[in-house]
Amino acid sequence: MRRKTIFSIFIATSALVVCPGQAVANPEKMREAAMQIDRHIATFYRDRQFTLPDVTEDAKFLRRTYLTVVGRVPTHEEATAFLASDAPEKRQALIASLLESPGYGSHMANWIFDLIRIQDRNDRTSLGPYRHWVRAAMNGNMPWDEFTRRLLASTGSGWKQENAAVGYYVRDRGMPHDNLANSMRIFLGKRMECAQCHDDPFGDTERRDFYELAAFTEGQSQLNRDLIEPLYHEFREDGTEQSEEHRIALMLRENIFGLSLEGGGSGRITLPPDYQYRNGRPGEMLGAQTPFGRTVRLSPNRNHDDGREKLADWVITRTDLQFPAVIANRMWRRVMGQGLVEPVDDFTPIGETHHPALFKHLAELMVELKYDLKAFQHVLLLTRTYQFETNPAPSAIHGGDDFLGRRLQRLSAEQVWDSLITLATGNPDASPPPQLDDTIYLDGRPVLNGSKSMTQLAEEIHGLRNERQFRRYFAELVKEIQHSGSSGTDGGSMRMQPAGASAQGGLIRAADLPSPAPRGHFLHVFGQSDREVVDASSREANVGQVLALMNGFVQKEIIGQADSMLFQGLKESDGPRDQIHRLCLTILSRPPTGVELEWMLEEVRDRGESGIRNLAAALLMSSEFLFLQ
Amino acid sequence: MSGPAYDADEFTRRQFLSNVARKCLGVCLFPMFGTSLAGAAPATARPGAKAKHVIYLFMSGGMSHLDTFDPKPRARKVMGPTTAIETSADGIQLGHYLPHTAKVMHRCSIIRSMNSTQGAHEQGQYMMHTSYSMRGTIRHPALGSWVLKLGGRIHPELPGFVAVDTPADLTGGGFFGASYAAAPVGRPEDGLKDCRRPDEVKPEDFDRRLALADRLNRDFHARHPNADVKAYEQLYQDAVKLMNSKDVKAFDLAQESTATRDLYGGGRFAQGCLLARRLVEHGVRFVEVNLGGWDTHYDNFTGVEGRCREFDQAFAALIHDLEKRGKLDETLVVVATEFGRTPEIQTAHSHGRDHHPAAFSTVLAGGGIKGGHLHGETDRTASRVARDAVTIPDLNSTIAHALGLPHELVIMSPTRRPFKIADKGTPVHSLFA
Repeated sequence: MRRKTIFSIFIATSALVVCPGQAVANPEKMREAAMQIDRHIATFYRDRQFTLPDVTEDAKFLRRTYLTVVGRVPTHEEATAFLASDAPEKRQALIASLLESPGYGSHMANWIFDLIRIQDRNDRTSLGPYRHWVRAAMNGNMPWDEFTRRLLASTGSGWKQENAAVGYYVRDRGMPHDNLANSMRIFLGKRMECAQCHDDPFGDTERRDFYELAAFTEGQSQLNRDLIEPLYHEFREDGTEQSEEHRIALMLRENIFGLSLEGGGSGRITLPPDYQYRNGRPGEMLGAQTPFGRTVRLSPNRNHDDGREKLADWVITRTDLQFPAVIANRMWRRVMGQGLVEPVDDFTPIGETHHPALFKHLAELMVELKYDLKAFQHVLLLTRTYQFETNPAPSAIHGGDDFLGRRLQRLSAEQVWDSLITLATGNPDASPPPQLDDTIYLDGRPVLNGSKSMTQLAEEIHGLRNERQFRRYFAELVKEIQHSGSSGTDGGSMRMQPAGASAQGGLIRAADLPSPAPRGHFLHVFGQSDREVVDASSREANVGQVLALMNGFVQKEIIGQADSMLFQGLKESDGPRDQIHRLCLTILSRPPTGVELEWMLEEVRDRGESGIRNLAAALLMSSEFLFLQ
Repeated sequence: MSGPAYDADEFTRRQFLSNVARKCLGVCLFPMFGTSLAGAAPATARPGAKAKHVIYLFMSGGMSHLDTFDPKPRARKVMGPTTAIETSADGIQLGHYLPHTAKVMHRCSIIRSMNSTQGAHEQGQYMMHTSYSMRGTIRHPALGSWVLKLGGRIHPELPGFVAVDTPADLTGGGFFGASYAAAPVGRPEDGLKDCRRPDEVKPEDFDRRLALADRLNRDFHARHPNADVKAYEQLYQDAVKLMNSKDVKAFDLAQESTATRDLYGGGRFAQGCLLARRLVEHGVRFVEVNLGGWDTHYDNFTGVEGRCREFDQAFAALIHDLEKRGKLDETLVVVATEFGRTPEIQTAHSHGRDHHPAAFSTVLAGGGIKGGHLHGETDRTASRVARDAVTIPDLNSTIAHALGLPHELVIMSPTRRPFKIADKGTPVHSLFA
């Protein structure tokens, strides 16, 4: 029944949904912005004497739009509703309703998890609250400039949701320079990782530049760490590794103090012992300085405490159009299948690209829309360019940014997974995403269940004023835990459960499974990023994938399951012809062609019930299922 | 590609390759999907080359050379709590976290003079796996893919290249295409998942499914003559051959005795090493096993100790086991990592060590490699290479040489650019017995 509701919402939403509070929120302006983009593309085609591709048919548009916006194929009901509708603006209506559905946030989470390398834990510290915050920011469509600022400049305890973005640095604890190099790549498309160790022979970045930039983020430590260090070291020297008190101390050290960040950025840094160039000497103190854009400089003569704030400010507002252009290009890639300029994380000055006018226009549009990523994608989705027919031929321009139609692309691991669970269980967004797991775990077991949460624990501990108070608090806590009686003695794993993620076997959205999915999981086999490096997902084929489609997950959860959503739906159908129709529509989002229907009917005649299953299996093994047209 | 490619066109292929090599134009044009080479036996096995297989153990994250294969007991300041222990090879010491490995050093060579300019993980790992720097415009094939391309599969039905617990983007076929990508194994105990026909699917239905899918795909491929699409078609054929192979049991660790499994130890990496041995025995050419977690910026010594616990027993067991089964001579075992770690210890990061590409160590054993041998040396604090520097391409070239593969052979990418298995690297000849 739930599906019916969605269906009627879709039909009712024939007008564009207005995003409140945004600059270009009204449908007219959105449409105008989309047309401007199309005009740029048309000019580009005319100048090069290319033929403008046709607009794709309804079925392809439907499938493309579901996969692009909500990361899964439409259900049978959703497909039928769209294809049968003769509303004049049904494409626009579909886009608007999908953008407002929960699948949007889930699919955006897949994108951002890959980009900023979200892992559920760093060593022994659970990053659950951070992951949860990122997921919520995508759901709530947090503007990209604010999101960036929070990641770069937050301080405090990560157990407070308003500071949870400190996880961005905690994830890279001990490696602030790698973190910074990644930030430059993610937010500004500037590759500086080489300059951590030497002048970049291919680029324009010197090692000194990198250190001057790193000065902004220098001086990171953990909030109130001094409270616990003496006690922790006593335990260590004591050698009572296995005592329960020791394990409780370790849990607090990793998960309360570990998930926090103190130090807003000292703004100065010393050159490393192996500094090798003439423009500095090892041990020399440098003040923070930005390498391009409008210069921001801090004095080396004193500690500042707002270096990261200054850095964020520079990234967002003092790099001309580079900041909006990079995110605009990333969004273009999400919607159009490839960046307007590739690669998306190596910024080319706008004037040197194949599309200077359009690229500039997109960057300005991003600013005008106040970094509202949903509204920006909305505009792109409304373009004719988005609706271009698929073009199988390789591009005429090196790098592929000519848009001679859309390039055929294998679905991402997450799109394949989310589509398959839709076929297995129906709309996966019917139940709300998991909440943050706030339970206190000791040795993997919940303690103080119901009487205290991690959030409370963190708040109380960070409220303590000195070590003496902490020791008293700690003694109480130990007593409480021992009293509650559910702690163990095996001294084994000190790990917490992955917060916010349910068991690995669950048929739930990829964005709600552990991050990264465990090795060997369907998502891993299909190339999900291991979340070690930026954007490391792969769409390359391997034999494990076809085995999973032939014999594994697909057979186990869909073909072999009489109560899978796919086969449930068939029960309502009227004879083999209708069943085949339904299979094609549910799996490929299109009805069978006349010829297909003929030979498919033959299969059912030959094999009866098994024939239907064989057809479903074959459709799921088909390239048409695995590729986005 | 047809599987048992030993027969008909095998001769022409060998001849073709050797002719090309002999004419020393060194340039060889392969059509992008003319898969005529995969499935072939070694192209032109260099006379004297002993290795047929490679087990490539990758220590992901940057293994601290000082705490493992290049300790400096006299430089107390850079050693922290790590001490050096004697080994079964005269004059070779290891960090004290590696007692089992120490007992097989008489079978191993250590290169202590590895160095690179790639100080970030992604770039470093990419170069280790491909010999080339990352470029935005091309994906280079992984070493295992190169070995398949040049050397072919050994077993016609099993995958030629298997990667255990390794990220897909490091074991891809690059511009050779997906037929050269590794078959991925997640948990060694699971083997290659799903390689049996489900019991509830009758053979006839299984065949029908394939035929029906083929029918759908023919239409689609005609409309979209696309390389990525084509790759799946090829893989379905490979997968079916694999399923029908009696040797698919190569992936089944349950066939090993408890004693053997215990010999390797219980961790995922250990069982991965055991799986690698089984696969090699059954004719898989290249197996990569990944051990992550070496990025010890924070609390290096606890981190290294934990990693070595995973590595040590397993590695020693692998060498012993291969030797006992007479496979060590034809199996090159490589222990590699993307870079070393700094001699300086960061007290602010709970005694961490940062990235250090200027000097690091790799280990080679079996496949004709000398035992108990040291190549190269670092300075007093293991900070810089003091002599006989070896680059990443040199290492990969050495691996090619051990296999008898032509490391000078140039292969053109579909975009008409020339590439070699180890770029400009040259083999370290003195490592060979």
